[in-house]
Amino acid sequence: MKHFSLASDAVDLAELHASLQHPGSGGFCAFEGWVRDSNEGRAVNGLEYEAYAELAMAEGERIVEEAIARYGVNAAHCMHRTGNLAIGDVAVWIGVSSAHRDEAFRACRYIIDEIKHRLPIWKKEHYIDGDTAWVACAHTYREHEHEQRHRHDHAHESVASFVPDYSRQTCLREVGEAGQAKLAAARVLVIGAGGLGCPVLTYLAGAGVGTLGIVDGDRLDASNLHRQTLYDARDIGELKVDLAARRIAALNPSVAVKTYAEPLHAGNIIEVFGQYDQVVECTDDLGSRYFSNDAAILTGIPLILASVYQYEGQLQVVTAKQGDPCLRCLWPQEPAAGVAGSCIESGVLGPVPGVLGSMQAIEALKLLLDLPRPADHALLLVNLLDGTSQRLPIDAAQGCAMHGGCIEAARRGLAMAQAARDVDLVFVNLDAAIAAGYALVDVREAAEIAAQPLHAPSQWIPSALIGERAIELAAGPVLLICASGRRSGVAARVLRSQGMPNVYSLAGGVAALAPRRDRIAG
Amino acid sequence: MTTVTLQYYAQLREQARTSNEQVSTSATSLHGLYEELRARHGFTLPPDALKVAVNAQFSDWNRVLRDGDTVVFIPPVAGG
Repeated sequence: MKHFSLASDAVDLAELHASLQHPGSGGFCAFEGWVRDSNEGRAVNGLEYEAYAELAMAEGERIVEEAIARYGVNAAHCMHRTGNLAIGDVAVWIGVSSAHRDEAFRACRYIIDEIKHRLPIWKKEHYIDGDTAWVACAHTYREHEHEQRHRHDHAHESVASFVPDYSRQTCLREVGEAGQAKLAAARVLVIGAGGLGCPVLTYLAGAGVGTLGIVDGDRLDASNLHRQTLYDARDIGELKVDLAARRIAALNPSVAVKTYAEPLHAGNIIEVFGQYDQVVECTDDLGSRYFSNDAAILTGIPLILASVYQYEGQLQVVTAKQGDPCLRCLWPQEPAAGVAGSCIESGVLGPVPGVLGSMQAIEALKLLLDLPRPADHALLLVNLLDGTSQRLPIDAAQGCAMHGGCIEAARRGLAMAQAARDVDLVFVNLDAAIAAGYALVDVREAAEIAAQPLHAPSQWIPSALIGERAIELAAGPVLLICASGRRSGVAARVLRSQGMPNVYSLAGGVAALAPRRDRIAG
Repeated sequence: MTTVTLQYYAQLREQARTSNEQVSTSATSLHGLYEELRARHGFTLPPDALKVAVNAQFSDWNRVLRDGDTVVFIPPVAGG
């Protein structure tokens, strides 16, 4: 049986229903379109359908096939009547059987929407007053178009008609219309669109902050969903900055969003910070916190820091004003890798970043609106297991001021970040590195080298011994090589911290080199 | 001996398996106290990665311990 039929007389629906029986089907969904007794206020006593049969048959067949392919259903059929119909007659019948009900519902909906939209069938209505009229197909709302838009385009949906209503906050005496105008003019950069970033972005967008910048290089992972409330299961694998931008556009279309799909680096962080009035640091990376702290101090742009650990969190506002404390006033140096726990290693309960992120949003709004805040500066410790918090005032005189001041510390920090950034060099083959004047040093273990020799003149110092044997290295530029670029990167940074600025690491290691010609023959 | 109350956060809470405890110590400074606790609980963090507060105020590590002090050792945390 074909998937689409035109019928000039009433059809046996039981037969159509039986034709869709399928052993693999657990659900059946049907739609019937009936002749109604009125149209746009005029009483109708019957109608007449006229079809361009050849074209209608071909197009109808195509529509049902599209639905079968699109939703993976087992069987589907659409019957459309032509000729004269009375009130209550079945004008169109669609049936779909599939393994699960959801596809059946959706395929059924797809078919009726497309039929109404695409089929060359005209409807002549017979009105009770004896008049008749051919009725044009009005615009059809097609649900599946909106499914697609939801996935890919909702940032671009037209929402010109939306007028934000901030009355619930402007009625606060401290906010008012003047405060709302301040928010509309404000530009806030949110670094990290994860557990902390989601509530920050949601509340700042909802409050009507005029411009939001979002920095995040990650794609959504299923393990993010327990705490990252901007996203849902359909979003997995997509860039968080794109997803967040779409959600913000849906939440408050009047907010302008700028996205950065790569982490900021020493080459652009100062310039990017300069485009904003305030930065909210929401990453799960201590290195990023120090980096943001240094850039905030050097640009004078306030920074709101928070971080979480399992059931607790820390919150600090760095005003970046002369004499006010910064992150380095508490912990002068970034702790060695692995010292500070992350959500991945230590675990975290979803609402914990929700609470701390909400607190960051409050601090952000307080600063933007110039709301009353305590005169002193503090680190807030929040323990959500026992419901306690501790506010520890920070004495700036006991911090960076004891060793050159926050600005000096920030300069040193940023210079180190710049140096670390320059450590990794990309070469497609080792001959190019040698031609560029680099002495090669293989820092792999003996067994790795035996399995995959470099085939280029090189010195061998295993990475674990690189510090103590640094004296053996050439005075000129040195390129350290390992399997993936990880060990060589760490080793290069260690050597640089020992005063050897000419040490570099092969980005991506041996794995990133182009295969040798003599090995890929055949 | 000095009796002090300790509050733990983050990794320290995890490693001590409690968020607070009262201890009698022969240590006279915060440094000495931390080394004693480190040995007892197996804390992995070195003291220079920590900030210390006594009676809700950040404190110098060389501060002399007094009976009844409430001491908090605070590591930076990274999660988000």
